[in-house]
Amino acid sequence: MRGAEKKRSGDLMTVQWLNKRRLALAALYLGLAVILAWWRPYVLVEGVQRSCLYAMIALPMALILGVLGIINLAHGEFMMLGAYLAYWFNVRAGLDPLLAALPLLLVFFILGLATYVSTIKHVLAAEELIQLLLTFGLGLVISQMVNLIWTSQPRKVQLDYVSASAAVGGFSFGTFEFIYVGAAVLVLIGLLLFMKYTRTGQAATAVGQNPRGAALVGIDVDRTYLMVFSISVALVGAMGALFMTRHSIFPAVGGSFTLKSFCLVAMAGMGNLSGILWCSLILGLAENLVLSIRGYSGWADIIFFALIGLVIIIRSRQRQST
Amino acid sequence: MNKAVKSLILLAVLVLLAALPFYAGAYPLSLANTIMIFMVLALSWDMLLRSGQLSFGIAGFFGVGGYAAVLSQVFGGINPLLTILLAALTAGLMALILGLVVLQLRGLYFAIVTLALAEIFRVIVTNIPDLTGGHEGTILKSAIFAGHTYKTYWLVLAIAVGGIVASEVFQRSRLYFALTSIRNDELVAKSSGINVFKYLVIAFSITAAIQGLVGGAYAQIYGFVSPEGSFSVNFTLLPLAMAVFGGMSRTWGPVVGAVLLGLASEILKLYIPYGHLIVYGVIIVAAILFLPEGVVGLISKHVLRRS
Repeated sequence: MRGAEKKRSGDLMTVQWLNKRRLALAALYLGLAVILAWWRPYVLVEGVQRSCLYAMIALPMALILGVLGIINLAHGEFMMLGAYLAYWFNVRAGLDPLLAALPLLLVFFILGLATYVSTIKHVLAAEELIQLLLTFGLGLVISQMVNLIWTSQPRKVQLDYVSASAAVGGFSFGTFEFIYVGAAVLVLIGLLLFMKYTRTGQAATAVGQNPRGAALVGIDVDRTYLMVFSISVALVGAMGALFMTRHSIFPAVGGSFTLKSFCLVAMAGMGNLSGILWCSLILGLAENLVLSIRGYSGWADIIFFALIGLVIIIRSRQRQST
Repeated sequence: MNKAVKSLILLAVLVLLAALPFYAGAYPLSLANTIMIFMVLALSWDMLLRSGQLSFGIAGFFGVGGYAAVLSQVFGGINPLLTILLAALTAGLMALILGLVVLQLRGLYFAIVTLALAEIFRVIVTNIPDLTGGHEGTILKSAIFAGHTYKTYWLVLAIAVGGIVASEVFQRSRLYFALTSIRNDELVAKSSGINVFKYLVIAFSITAAIQGLVGGAYAQIYGFVSPEGSFSVNFTLLPLAMAVFGGMSRTWGPVVGAVLLGLASEILKLYIPYGHLIVYGVIIVAAILFLPEGVVGLISKHVLRRS
């Protein structure tokens, strides 16, 4: 009797504690934002834009990990390839990169299908390290193919609309980069709706939780894997077009996005899509803060590494205590 | 094949290799150096793989070893041969510290952290220019043995033989059996009293020390270190492709893979000067899909079937 009561009050406590924790977290974010806005406004604005760039690229990776249970180490390379194709469309046909994102969705969906059927499918039952090696090899093939075709010289397209800016008080900032914020939110909402309301999405949720159980109730697991992998590749390929509007591209540009995407996925936890947006804010703002310190900007590239280390320490503590 | 014949053949090969400078020219000698350097890297990578942990950090420890060797000579005036040992020690210590944190979560986390290692070390080295020379790197006054090709070759040969012996000893050690049981089933290993974490940290440190040693020797042979050169992704890619192609989880796989791909890459460099790395990517993917046991696995399977 007393045990049951204790348990229930314990449950209530956890609910309250969770809410409190969420509130505290939101307050923390808001407080930090206000301080940053007052102290270094450009760090806040550019940091948020950078965060959303990371988030929009990390979201498809989280989807693959959540459903197929593998990390695609060629993730950033697919993004890089998308950027190069958008560049090519622009140079050859004068197609605006933002418009190129639409045909790229289709191109990369087909590429995703082909990649899954020819490679990923055959290692799903293999050891984790074999899966990692395979996707690592795929990434290498993609980046070296681009290297062969376009050489390693950096490329950039000149677009006049990317330098749009606005001013608040005496502080002016680029507005075009808010496209990354829009894209990240759009991809997140789109994926959440997809998982909840479409048959494939619902099947994907079930397969992600328990592939055997899903197969037993008649879900075609292989087809679900195929769809989820291809959709993710389609998304990340199209993101490449958005990426290259503002950044110069070279064959090795994707590598760091694979690592940073994993950092976000690890911070947010398995299958937590909306968490990625919040975690990306930590990474993006911290990076921009370090970039803004004169003489130390070179260190910004190791922040994601420190974050992964922190996640590992916290996770292993949690595991030991439970 | 009985044991005596086997050891006789090995001895003959060793003598032939040791005498190589007396009958081969400068080009075969430098090619042999390159192949053996990558062979030891491939072996060390494979040793850790046998415990079920995938490391992409070869170039990272290789570069750390290179910097440790060059800087300890420049600032400490230490004997070049001793700096190579110091390089091994530094890389091993780095791996020990890293392993104590990262190996608490294994598999994915470990693989990705090591994937970032070379880049992280490169950023750190570039950002402390007072010590490391920044982007330019640091140059030694002279290469080891004053650039004497015979002695250099024998040094590399000694390291290669040492690497093969280390791998064979490792294969028969208590450590190996503990690690294999971890790879097969971690829970069972734990319940039979194996300290999983401890053994993995030891294995990670030892293999990193080997990579650091090779990096130190390489830096001493060429007489310089630079962020781009010492942490080049090639030092991760090539050993990995060699081990996967030759056959993982056995000593002779990486050895055979290193010889075959080392020779092949010389030809490839002629035909595809830029982007010949794509071949290594294709080899990794194809070997995993169609040749999971590697070349050595394929051969030993057929030989066994016939006998």
